[in-house]
Amino acid sequence: MVAADAGTESVLAIEAIPGATGAAPSRRTGLGALFWVCAGWVALMALLAILAGVLPLKAPNFQDYSAVNVGPSVHHLLGTDDLGRDLLARIIYGSRVSLVIGFAPVAIGLAVGGSLGLLAGYRGGVADSLLNALSFVILAFPALLAIMVIERFWQPISLLKLIVLFAIVAAPQLFRVMRATTLSYAGREFVVAARATGATTRRILLRELLPNTLPAAASFALIGVAIAIVLEGALAFLGLSVSLPTSSLGNIINAGVNNDNLTLNPYIALWPSLYIFLLLTALNLMADRLRSYFDIREVKL
Amino acid sequence: MIRYVGTRLLQLVVICFLISVAAFLLVHLLPGDPTLAILGPNDTPSARATLLKQLGLNHSLVVQYWTWVKNIFHGNLGVSFLTKQTVSNALSVAVPIDLELVIVSQVIALVVAVPLALVAALRPNKAFDRVATTTTFGFLSLPTFVAGPLLVLLFAVELHAVPATGFVRLSQSFGSNLKSVILPSVTLAIGSIAVYYRLLRADLISTLQEDFVTMARAKGLSTPYIMLRHVLRPSSFSLLAGAGISIGTLFTGAFVVEVLFQLPGIGYQLVQAIYARDYLVVQGMALVAAVAFVVVNFGVDFLLTLLDPRVRRG
Amino acid sequence: MADSADRYDRRAFLARGASTAAAMGLAGVGVPALLSACGTSTTTRSHGSTPGVGTGTPRRGGSVTVGLNSEIDGFLPASSHFDNSGITYANTVFDSLTRVGADGTAKPYLAKAVTPNADMTAWTITLRPDVSFHDGSAFTADVLVANIEALRHSLLTSQALAPVSGVTATGDLEVTISLDEPLVAFPHYLATQIGYPVAMAQLTTTNTTHPIGTGPFMYESWEPNDHFTAVRNPNYWRHGLPYLDGITYKPIPQDQSRESSLRSGTVDLMVTRDPHVIRDLGHATGYQQIADLNQAHGQTDMDFIILNCAADPTNDLMVRQALAHAMDTEQIVKLFGAGVTQQNTSLFPPGSPYRPAHNGYPAYDLNKAKQLVAQAAPNHGGSITITLDTVTDPRLLEIIQAIANMWSLAGVHVTVGQVEQVTFIDNLVTSKFMAYTDEQFSASDPDLNYVWMSPTTANPPISLNFSRNKDPLLEAALQRGRTSADPAVRAAAYQTVDERLAADLPYLWFSRATWSLTGTTAVANFNNMTLPDGSLDRGFASGVFTPTSTWRTA
Repeated sequence: MVAADAGTESVLAIEAIPGATGAAPSRRTGLGALFWVCAGWVALMALLAILAGVLPLKAPNFQDYSAVNVGPSVHHLLGTDDLGRDLLARIIYGSRVSLVIGFAPVAIGLAVGGSLGLLAGYRGGVADSLLNALSFVILAFPALLAIMVIERFWQPISLLKLIVLFAIVAAPQLFRVMRATTLSYAGREFVVAARATGATTRRILLRELLPNTLPAAASFALIGVAIAIVLEGALAFLGLSVSLPTSSLGNIINAGVNNDNLTLNPYIALWPSLYIFLLLTALNLMADRLRSYFDIREVKL
Repeated sequence: MIRYVGTRLLQLVVICFLISVAAFLLVHLLPGDPTLAILGPNDTPSARATLLKQLGLNHSLVVQYWTWVKNIFHGNLGVSFLTKQTVSNALSVAVPIDLELVIVSQVIALVVAVPLALVAALRPNKAFDRVATTTTFGFLSLPTFVAGPLLVLLFAVELHAVPATGFVRLSQSFGSNLKSVILPSVTLAIGSIAVYYRLLRADLISTLQEDFVTMARAKGLSTPYIMLRHVLRPSSFSLLAGAGISIGTLFTGAFVVEVLFQLPGIGYQLVQAIYARDYLVVQGMALVAAVAFVVVNFGVDFLLTLLDPRVRRG
Repeated sequence: MADSADRYDRRAFLARGASTAAAMGLAGVGVPALLSACGTSTTTRSHGSTPGVGTGTPRRGGSVTVGLNSEIDGFLPASSHFDNSGITYANTVFDSLTRVGADGTAKPYLAKAVTPNADMTAWTITLRPDVSFHDGSAFTADVLVANIEALRHSLLTSQALAPVSGVTATGDLEVTISLDEPLVAFPHYLATQIGYPVAMAQLTTTNTTHPIGTGPFMYESWEPNDHFTAVRNPNYWRHGLPYLDGITYKPIPQDQSRESSLRSGTVDLMVTRDPHVIRDLGHATGYQQIADLNQAHGQTDMDFIILNCAADPTNDLMVRQALAHAMDTEQIVKLFGAGVTQQNTSLFPPGSPYRPAHNGYPAYDLNKAKQLVAQAAPNHGGSITITLDTVTDPRLLEIIQAIANMWSLAGVHVTVGQVEQVTFIDNLVTSKFMAYTDEQFSASDPDLNYVWMSPTTANPPISLNFSRNKDPLLEAALQRGRTSADPAVRAAAYQTVDERLAADLPYLWFSRATWSLTGTTAVANFNNMTLPDGSLDRGFASGVFTPTSTWRTA
């Protein structure tokens, strides 16, 4: 599940080739209205999550037994769940958990795995082989088993611990992705030329390689975000996610599917699914647009 | 070439060894032991000690590990503490299920993703492309534990077209077998469709900008012909690579689907064995799943080097 | 259908009165939530003709597929866990020595007679002649003795048979079991997991994967978590039975998947305790549904919160009372019962002779709860903090969130959590919990639950009395019920038990579990078995199904 879309070195080599992602660079025309709509939506979601505490929301854990499974109404804009809790509040508070669990591990993975991949891809050598083998071992090992075992040890399960676990799974994938792209660029003329002019490794990495490799890695990172958010729901299915009553989009969906709620009150599962769908689509459209915008593959001399 | 294969084989052995140690350690590190599952509330200290001795668990971890590895080389993966069936037996039930799920789901995913990508790549960022991209991305955000029950509700309960649960072996009846795997496979395919579509579309767009395509057009060849004969093959690169990872992880990643549809595959049995601290079953299944992943991906990597020598193998 | 000359010893029966016999201190075996075969007669829901009762001539042949709620780990009573699914399998390939009748008494079944001596310290089991196992071997006294000895020595069941001081074959078809103390309900114990004899071939090899019993069906194949198939036993000692040629069981732990399996035709019969599924199928057309709602024999499956009376702060009676007063059991049933589950705050069902008119269980009273919390808090460091856990079950998870909310309204700090099943049981046994959900206590006779609640068994380091309650009045009452043959004394004793539990509060009841067996119209007579003496069998209860007199309509 987790590694379903990691991609291998070869994938990245292709994606890094000029023009691989879409129309020719259109720097002159700006990012476009669609981009900004999506960006606005993402910003709004992030803002709601951050400001959840000060917004005039109902208490997310307050159980009102007189208002169980109520549909969208004036008092409860998105309705209530089977324990009478306001869905809008639960989703906004839940989005905190999900957004963090979506982005943090991937960001960490990109930072740690990505930079290691950049280094390893450029320098090669023993360290590269070792890291590569290690990443393979982590990827090959059934993530489910590892997560289950580690969580048994690491009770109670908190958001921080989940982030660490997901980061451990994400890092090797991003390592391989960065490494692959770097490999395909390391032999290119502009890099050779930079070295010939006496540039330090640091400069080469930062100025020549990183700008070219980062977009491709970021593209995969985005899919990783999607997978992480949904994976958290699957863990909730197994009882391995954040402890209730803390809501996460994953465990709200999970609750919405169990106990006959799908027939009694489909809103419980519907709203968080819609949230995830809109958020990910917006991010995806933004990412694609950015890629075609920043499609710089010019030789730098 | 020989050197390449040799290096890969060596890596395979090393990785398998490391995974075997990891699987062994991880499951033994779990608090508790099989006596809990076997004896339940009758787990008196003396009963526990006797049982541990019977199960061979009173030796040191190193000895236990070594015994396990030695037995593997004799083809003996051990016996389940709980059901007393051999691990090989459990695998002989689980592996065909997962194999079929993987094959059928990936075929479905490809059958949907490839034509979509072909059409979308011709006019990138236009209406069809946008709709297809958004829809497939929607699939990605639909968890299997939501998609599964919905599909069951429609096709099994309402339409009585397929069974809601259970696996019918291929050896029993081809028709029933297909009917029993189609819904779970579709559920699994949903996530893969998004990934394959994305990978293939990117490759296709890049290939379409190559000179030989312009030339083929100039020659007057029809678009479908160009796409299928000339463009598709060189663009399958990343699709193949992505499929490798996808397939490799599906063996354990299909757990949710297996529970929903009552298919005792590797993921299902692995989780049950973890809960019961059925060490040998966990170790055996984890090892097999990991080896499957490694073998599949090495195979894919190898195919890719054949297809494109540009890509250097580390 | 009544076999001749196999009456329960009528003289003894009449001398002791209806529905009770001297009890014996045999413990139930198996994990707490999944007790041995239990005694509740069933009431059927009317959909025109009585569900589960076939009309006309029984049709022979055909096969039926049954969806079960769990898989078992093996078929050897001495070493396998028999939950309700386990007993269902057992009723298919084995027979129990006695069975519970519709009137709540335990009647001889595989055994021809079960007779006590004068002071109930020795029981003689008379076997039927010409009963053989599926492998052709005869069921003689020696075989029964070997079976019981195996149970006495097995790690799993030896505790259950602790009161047995000796087992001997006193004839070719007669076995006498002597006990340390008189036990009135002995025949009921023989209707549980320990009462299913297996053939010597299976016993001596301790084979758990291939059952060889005397039952109506014979093992054909078993693929754990996939299916178990058995075929008709042509030499069954109950002549004329079974009607079916074969039966297949499919364990499907997910309730919704199991319901979908019934609705889509993948299975013909289905067991469930999920109230939503029960309600849905009750409203659907084309199904025959049996639910064990109205029964008055023995004890029923209870849903409750079990509190650890040996750990702080639940060792404080005031705290337990506060928690009881804060629990709005009606609301819980309303939220999660789907209109099917019944609220119940007594160990015994309505109509039972053991149920007192008012057992004194604390009523829902939030203000009282707050008062008690405020009073008790200073003794526990200023605040009462409780951890409430359950297993990975979505229904229970929702329930504990509601209960935690109710407790917190009274001023208690509650954290909820989930624990995996194995650790859950371990914590119960070793007293490493504070408040857990529990489902337990279904039994055809109250004495079957003695070991789970007797203060004499509440000793470290492990105990079957999970809540560790040490109420001497409770023990006295349990003993009276156990050893007295007089039904009036027994009724009074168990009423006292109920009152003591309501006063000491190791268990916070909230509802009775309702089990249901639902079948399509293709299956008939799946709940209408007569016993060898002509009386009606208790039938489906607490999730246990017996396939013997089922037939297919088409």
